Order: sequence, then C-alpha cells, then structure tokens
Amino acid sequence: MKRYKAILALLILLILVLGVIRVGISNRISTGGVELGTIEDEISFYRTQNLIYKEKIYTLSSLNHISSEAAKVGFVDSKASLAIGSSLPIAAR
Amino acid sequence: MALRLRISLLALVLGFVLILLRLFYWQVVKASELSQLGVEQYGAVRKIVPQRGDILASDGFPLATSKITYQVYANTKVVEKVDQTSSLLSTILDMDEASIAAKLSLDKYWIGIKNGVDAESKSKIEALKIPGIGFEQEYSRFYPEASMAANLLGFVGKDNLGDNKGYFGIEGYYDRLLHGKEGSAIEIMDATGRPILARADSNSNGVDGGSLVLNIDRSIQFLVDRKLKSAVEKYGAESGMIGVIEPKTGKILAMASYPSFDPANYSKFPSDSYINHFVSSLYEPGSTFKPLVMSAALNENKVTANTKCPSCEGPVSVGGYDLHTWNDKYYPNTTMTEVIQHSDNTGMVYVAQQLGLDKMLEYINKFGIGKLTGIDVQGETSPEIKPKDQWYAVDLATTGFGQGINVTPIELLTAFASIANDGKMMKPHLVSEIRYPDGKKTDVSPQEVGRPISTENAKVMTEILVNAVNKGEASYMRLKGYRVAGKTGTASIPVQGHYDPTKTIASFEGFAPADDPKFAMIVIFNKPTAAIYGAETAAPVFFDIAQNILNYYHIPPSQ
Repeated sequence: MKRYKAILALLILLILVLGVIRVGISNRISTGGVELGTIEDEISFYRTQNLIYKEKIYTLSSLNHISSEAAKVGFVDSKASLAIGSSLPIAAR
Repeated sequence: MALRLRISLLALVLGFVLILLRLFYWQVVKASELSQLGVEQYGAVRKIVPQRGDILASDGFPLATSKITYQVYANTKVVEKVDQTSSLLSTILDMDEASIAAKLSLDKYWIGIKNGVDAESKSKIEALKIPGIGFEQEYSRFYPEASMAANLLGFVGKDNLGDNKGYFGIEGYYDRLLHGKEGSAIEIMDATGRPILARADSNSNGVDGGSLVLNIDRSIQFLVDRKLKSAVEKYGAESGMIGVIEPKTGKILAMASYPSFDPANYSKFPSDSYINHFVSSLYEPGSTFKPLVMSAALNENKVTANTKCPSCEGPVSVGGYDLHTWNDKYYPNTTMTEVIQHSDNTGMVYVAQQLGLDKMLEYINKFGIGKLTGIDVQGETSPEIKPKDQWYAVDLATTGFGQGINVTPIELLTAFASIANDGKMMKPHLVSEIRYPDGKKTDVSPQEVGRPISTENAKVMTEILVNAVNKGEASYMRLKGYRVAGKTGTASIPVQGHYDPTKTIASFEGFAPADDPKFAMIVIFNKPTAAIYGAETAAPVFFDIAQNILNYYHIPPSQ
C-alpha cells in the first residue's frame, strides 16, 4: 500500500516537472515564429537584391553596352586587316 | 406490445439509416465542394507564378532571363487625396494622371495601377509614403542584349487566360520547359473579405522553369546582327538574313533576320517582324543551289570536274523556252569547274539533264530539300516538291540553276554544310544543354541525318567552290591567305506567273577554312536596290564576317 502511494506521488511529481518543463520550452520558443519570419523576410530581401544586382551586371556586361561605351571613347571597327602569308618575311642580309 | 416495440425500433433504425445516408452525401459526395466553399470563405487561392527559365548563349551569358518588377496597386478605401496621389504617381510611373485618378476614384479594396514597374520607381514611390499604395512582386522577361537574336529567341506574351506564354523562336518552341509548373497558395481573408496581413501558405507544388544553353556564340551573333543591319540599310534591301553553322556538328552559331524587333517591347513592332524568316520563308535559291546539283552529278559519275560542256556555246532551248546565262556570255567547251566559276546556267542545264529527273528527285530528297530539318525553333516550314509526273523538261533544266524550286534558308545551309563535312549532313540544332531546376542536366548531342555524297566527291566539290571564290565574280573580295569555298547567288523572284526583271534575291554561301571548315554561312538579301547581284552585296558581307570569325577563332592564313 505504501509502495503504491510512493509510485502515485512519483507520477504526480513527474507530471508536475514535465508540465513546468513544457511551460518553459513553450515560453522560450513562442517567439521563434517571429524570428523565423524575420529570417525568411531577410532571405527574400537578399534574393530580390541579388536579382536586381544581377540585372545591373548583365546590362553593364552585355556586348551591346560594351560596344556603345567603346564607341564613346573612340574605338572603331578596323577597316583593313593585315595578313602575313605562310612565308615569313626574312631580312635579305 | 411487441408490435409497438418493433415499430419503434424500425423507426429508430430507419432514422439512423437516413442520417447515415445524409452523412454519406455531405461527407463523401459533396466533400470536395464543401471543402472548396470553406476555403473560399476564409481565404482566396492565389496562383504562384514560377520563375521562367533562362536562355543562355554558349558562354553562359543570358540572352533572356527573368527580372523582378512590381505591380503597383491601391486600396482606394485608404487613399486620402486622390488628386495629389494621381499627380505624384503619374510622374514616376509615366502614366496619364486622369487614368490613375479614375482608378483611385473607384470604391475598391484592391485595384491594379501598373505592371512591370522597376525597383528604382518602386523605391521612389515608397519614399513618398502614400497611404493605400502597395506593391506586388512579379517576374518580367529581361533581354540583356536587347534585340540581339530577337527573331531566334521570340518573346513572352500573355495567353487568353492572362498567363505568360512564349511565342515564336525558342521561347515558343520550348515554352513548356521554360515556363515551369504553377503553384498555388491560400491568402487568408477576414469576415469582410479583406486580406489579413499574414504570409500566404508557400507550401505549393509549383516548379520553376528549366534553362537552355544554346550553341549560339554571343560574339558571332553580335557581329552578324550588326553587319546584317548595316548591310540591309547600305544596299537598300527590303530584308536580310544570315545563318552560321558548324558543319561538323550542326550547331547553329548565329542566326539573324532584319528587320527585327525588341522582344521586351514586342507590341510596339509590326507582327511581321516577329517571324524568323531563316526557317519560315521559302525562296528560289538561284545559283546557290548549283553546288547541290553539281555534287549530285559528281556523286553519280555523270560528270567530273574536268568534263566539258558540249552545249554551252549559246542559249539552250528546252521545252520551248530559251535558257540564257545571267550575263549572256557563253563559254564553249567549258569545264564543270568553270561552270560553277562563271555561274553558267547553260552548263547547269547540261548537268541537270545528265543527272536526269529520277536522280534529281532522289538527291533533292537526300539533301533534305522539301523536308523539315527538325531545327529546335518554332515556325519551321518546308516547301512541297512536286510529284514526278508534274515535272516538265524545263523544270528539270531550271532546277539545275536553282530556279523553279523553293527552299528555306535553313534547308539550303544544312544541305550545303554537308559538302563542308565530307558529305555527312548534320541536323541543325540550337540547344546544347537543358538545365532543370533540380540540378539535373541533359546534353543535346550532334546527330547525323544523312550522307548525300561521298567524302571524295565532297572534296572535289570543295575544290570547285574554292576555285569559284578565287576566280569567280566575287574574287575581288576574297580573303588573302585563306582558302574559302563559296558560291554567289542572284535569284529572280517569281511574280504572278513570271519573273520580276528588276528585283532579285542576292545571296552568298560558303565555308572556311576549306580544308578543315569551322563554319559554313549563308548571307541573303531580299530585293536589294543599290546593286542587285549577290557578288556585289552578299559576298562582301560574307567575306567581312568570315574574316572576323577567322580572327575570332585565331585561325591563321594558310597560304
């Protein structure tokens, strides 16, 4: 009889301890959703920023842009190209 | 007593059966409908549009990609000063103030004002802190190289449900792959139907679109686009086309049509400009067809490079028609090499007659004329080759010099490139790799589609074409030090049963270096006005581009 009482007391104690632990953990993680939301928002923000920067990089590194910038600073198409034949020029003496 | 009990029991059982049936009706038969009604009551299903896949050049640079834009919307119940808000928005969004004011005057929780607004404009509006104005992020198509290869790429428009859809070119051909799979999310509403500021459920089953890596070489495409545009303007042509292929693999290195359009603003251009004429338009090729007929005759041992033409001393009469040379100059006893060199129509009539109708039709088929090449781009067409019993003697004769038969430029380039590839014809293809969103990749391998002529005859034909470049009409333009094989073409245009005497299609096809070809190219001008001959219009453009490509590939002169 005494043994049963002890087991019962132990079980009640266990329930109380587990209850307190649960309250503690719940309390700790209750704001986790907000933190997760903030992290997700940050990820989304950086993803957006990446795409915006990518767009700028692609625009600036496109051949269209490079050629127009080159033309502005004076680069023009070569009108004639020099070709050296198979016999290389050698000084006569 | 027992009877009353039984009746009561029966009534109870019947009642339970009825309840069970009703439960079955609501829980099973009407379950999905009720579930849907429930969802509609507390939220709205929102479509999650997948990010469209990229189209990349062979160097990995995107020719078409997605960029973030925003849809500007308003909650008109919160907007305070309609006139002031309209004025501010109209300046930043470049819209008519009255149309914004009209939208803001409506009594709505949500109304769209403008789509495709860039991040810079969004920041400007945000800085104004206008009450009731919000932004919805969306993806728009972005073309970093602007209108480069526009006819090849196509564009992304809307279908009849308002969803993104690729039209023309690669966007059209690979639309399903590029588009991906739409997902869905539930946006929770309050009792009055206003969206609650909560994250939409992102656990959707959507999949982003796959990406394509093309064989298109960005540098060559840029060069070709630029040269074509300036040449069409210089020669006063109605339009022009250029295609460059790698003969050994069938990889398309560049393909351009002009006039073209800007795929980002396609609606501002006439719909005709969307068409990729290189695969969609038929034309009579004229003298650029001669190498195919001559190759066939060489392959059938009907002629050799030194065979002399016995009927080339003057115009040839066939079926009541007198067939002349293009300049009315005649070369008695001319060899087959010289027939190509002088682009001699009477010589080609002799070759066609030696070949005969059966063999002519056989080789037309072997070279893929009249069949789709299978190039992976939307809108490819193919001419119909007349059945044998509808061919007259004059048809066989004119086909010898490329009149009276239709081709598409891609058909001709594919067939001609087989001469550069030891007689092996490769399937032209644009995509070299498909990249899926899960990281998997699929390579597209070169595919041999036929062997119309032998290696030996391909080499003989190559020498004939090198001679044509060195001694033919366009010899003054040839590249010093390089062996280039090529042929000019000046085709008459059929108009209502006869040929227009003033208008031509001027072209030049060739490959280089002749002994180990890295590329084959065809340049076509439709109705040039400054000069009508291929030697004076298409040939200079061909040699100009060829020189640049040889330099780009670091190929030194061989002679």
